[in-house]
Amino acid sequence: MSEKNKSNQEKVIETEVALGTVHPAALEPYRLRLFVEDEIINDAEITVGVNHRGIERIMEGLPVEKANSLTEKVCGICSNSHIWNSVLTAEKGLEIDVPPRANYIRVIMEELERLHSHLLYLGHGSEVLAHETFSMRAFSIRETVMELLRMIGGNRVQYGVSIIGGVRPRCDLDGGRLQKISDGLDFIEKKVADFADRFVNDSIVMNRITGVGQISQKDAIRLEVTGPSLRATGVDQDLRKVMKEYQDFDFNVVTLSDGDVKDNILLRVLEIPEAIGIIRQAIKNLPKGSVVNRSWEMFDTDIIHSHIEVPRGTLYHSYKIDRGKVRGSIIRTPSMSNIGAMQLACIGNHITDAQLCIVQCDPCFTCTDRAIEIVDLNKID
Amino acid sequence: MGLKSYSRGKAIHLMLVYTGGCNGCDIEIVNCVLSPKFDAEQYNVFLTWNPREADVLVVTGPVTKLNKKPLEKIYEAIPNPKAVVAAGSCALMGGVYKNIHGDIPSEEICGPVENVIPVDAKVPGCAVRPQDILAGVVSALPKLLNAD
Amino acid sequence: MTYTEILYPVLAVISTLVIAFIIGTMIPGLERKYIHARIQQRIGPSVISPGIMAPIKFFFKENVSPNSTVPRLYKSLPIICFIAIFFILLFLIPQTYQMGVFASVISIIGFLKIEEFCYVLMGSLSKSIMSLPMPFPDLVKGAVHLNGERSFIEDVSSSRALRLIAFGSFPFYLSLFVPVSLVGSVYFKDIVDYQLSHGPILFSVPGILGFIVFFIGYMILMNEYPFAILKTKADVIEGPYMEYASKYRGVIYLTRGFLIFTLSTLFSVLFVGLPPNIFSWNILINIAIAFIFTLIMGIVSAFSPVFTNKQFYPAVVATSILGVLAIILSLL
Repeated sequence: MSEKNKSNQEKVIETEVALGTVHPAALEPYRLRLFVEDEIINDAEITVGVNHRGIERIMEGLPVEKANSLTEKVCGICSNSHIWNSVLTAEKGLEIDVPPRANYIRVIMEELERLHSHLLYLGHGSEVLAHETFSMRAFSIRETVMELLRMIGGNRVQYGVSIIGGVRPRCDLDGGRLQKISDGLDFIEKKVADFADRFVNDSIVMNRITGVGQISQKDAIRLEVTGPSLRATGVDQDLRKVMKEYQDFDFNVVTLSDGDVKDNILLRVLEIPEAIGIIRQAIKNLPKGSVVNRSWEMFDTDIIHSHIEVPRGTLYHSYKIDRGKVRGSIIRTPSMSNIGAMQLACIGNHITDAQLCIVQCDPCFTCTDRAIEIVDLNKID
Repeated sequence: MGLKSYSRGKAIHLMLVYTGGCNGCDIEIVNCVLSPKFDAEQYNVFLTWNPREADVLVVTGPVTKLNKKPLEKIYEAIPNPKAVVAAGSCALMGGVYKNIHGDIPSEEICGPVENVIPVDAKVPGCAVRPQDILAGVVSALPKLLNAD
Repeated sequence: MTYTEILYPVLAVISTLVIAFIIGTMIPGLERKYIHARIQQRIGPSVISPGIMAPIKFFFKENVSPNSTVPRLYKSLPIICFIAIFFILLFLIPQTYQMGVFASVISIIGFLKIEEFCYVLMGSLSKSIMSLPMPFPDLVKGAVHLNGERSFIEDVSSSRALRLIAFGSFPFYLSLFVPVSLVGSVYFKDIVDYQLSHGPILFSVPGILGFIVFFIGYMILMNEYPFAILKTKADVIEGPYMEYASKYRGVIYLTRGFLIFTLSTLFSVLFVGLPPNIFSWNILINIAIAFIFTLIMGIVSAFSPVFTNKQFYPAVVATSILGVLAIILSLL
């Protein structure tokens, strides 16, 4: 923020427009202050912390199993990612082997969640564009994914699939469920291709979003942008390529080069077939055997870290286990590192595009509202 | 049923205020308006973002400290008659954030929505299902229809 | 003799206005249910809901005083808008054509300017809770630009309304002068008489160009998507209307449908030569034109995002050039 202020000092700031905390274009409470000159944004400030609930604090001292389920409540969009990463952290520390079948089911859940997150992005982005029809189309495709998630997890939003050592037995996939998933995927693939075709060929919409909210690759790397927003600027980085959970699967990392709203939307559209491909491979090669490994023992560990690639970027969980309880938990969500990019993307655009520039980084401020400790390095001896 | 009640039943403007839940309920509610599968408009429920236009206020989330005053202000801005629907377990009883904790309880939660503004209908669920939201709005309707 | 001479025109005017009012209340519902909802593959609201029942509901709501610096003026603005549109329709009715300069294109432009100017006032007077007064600690230590001027979101839409007056409604007024330059008179009477003998202006080359310009100008004047920059949801939420509650909001709801009908009647007078005469079957054509305008507008608005200035200026410039072309063609 400070570097940006320096560069903006010469710019005239006519007035300030404050949006939020309740606003139609934002699905979550946050405050956005726009500093404008003749409706062109010269500086933007996003204030998070409105929905800080102190999850890490209430996790302190909870048994690991309970804390894992609590991480799911960090976010309603990428709930599976949170519980998966939290469970992976515990498994890493306690050296638990996960049965291959459980791992495959987790991957299927994660990729279904990627589908629903990306489709939500398309729907929400179209709504911010005030294009109600595209928004409704995206939401109607998303409904199929939600039904698949409900079928596996039993709930439309918080599924609670992963537990330490595997997945819940009720989430095991039998033949009928697999058939339903593959039918659903065929439907989604067809519909998304149709949607993308219409979207790309709509010259009004393309004209509206091309060149809006551009972030250069250099800025994206400097601001530590993660996930699809980084890949939309041309950086080929996807943790799934190095995660051992994904080593059996063959997929491409999609990258685009412009880093504007158009590329962000297209990138998500292009990632949907890749995610569908991963699920198809998982269904085809689903190993036999048990879905949960119950033979593990609790012992004290050091601080354990785990990074995974979630629909919106890199998710980081870390805690240590002390007599079966969680201590010193830290969660770092992808939107945390994307806030800088959101602010930067707003600059130079029209006020109407401000929310679009923020939405292009796929924000999840409910995820992001963690306790932030500001340490003055000069005062430390 | 007079014209007054009839017109109120035929045009229900719904406003959504999110007060710091996990986002799941918010998206399910937006889903029930924007998704053609649920399509709240077929029950003459219209989504609005202006408190002056709203009849029904749907509140999600456990009301964090920073959200308490905005919620009160928005509630005051809605002209009578109005109804409040609290959706989701966080809005009903503070959810996991208020009731589950290890060594230290969370101090960020101003308690369920009931502590801040009067609630007329409660929709349970974590997260709420879109069908339940519509049912909750309908169950809050008698208050609107029978008001002066 | 004198008895019927007075009674008939008065009866005609009143019944035309009543019919216009009824059609005007049906139009938003038709647009929402049969055009938007159909395109979006859903059921949609009942036809009477957005146009009739919503205003009636608002008339029965508590009349809260708006957050405004001048509440009384603010409250009176939608009524001024409504009256301005009412007068436009009044002077389009053939029975009022002997009223001289009032029944001319010039007076229509004057009344529409009043309606447009009301948005500027509404925007600058409204102080909604949803932007600046939202209780949130903005000006705290560490926040950027602490000493700047702070404005409400309605101020943004007020300045946009001012720009719309300056350039946005330009295509619409240009298209009004296509028939004027073709006929050589600003009076409706002459325009209608000309079309009785020469056939509708719509079926000539300047007429077709004029129709395109008229339609785009009409969408800009209606603040319909994609030209809804005045009240786009993504930033100003509802723009100038933010603080209206109860009956004033009801009036705004009524005004919209009424304006759709009025402007399409204006089109049928200027381009088709059919004034809304209640005593002839031609009124059905007027109503049909209103429905066709709603249909096209609904389809366009369902398939387009909101335009920012970057798209808005070129659209207005291109339409204006087309309008100038139409006027030149009509003068040749």
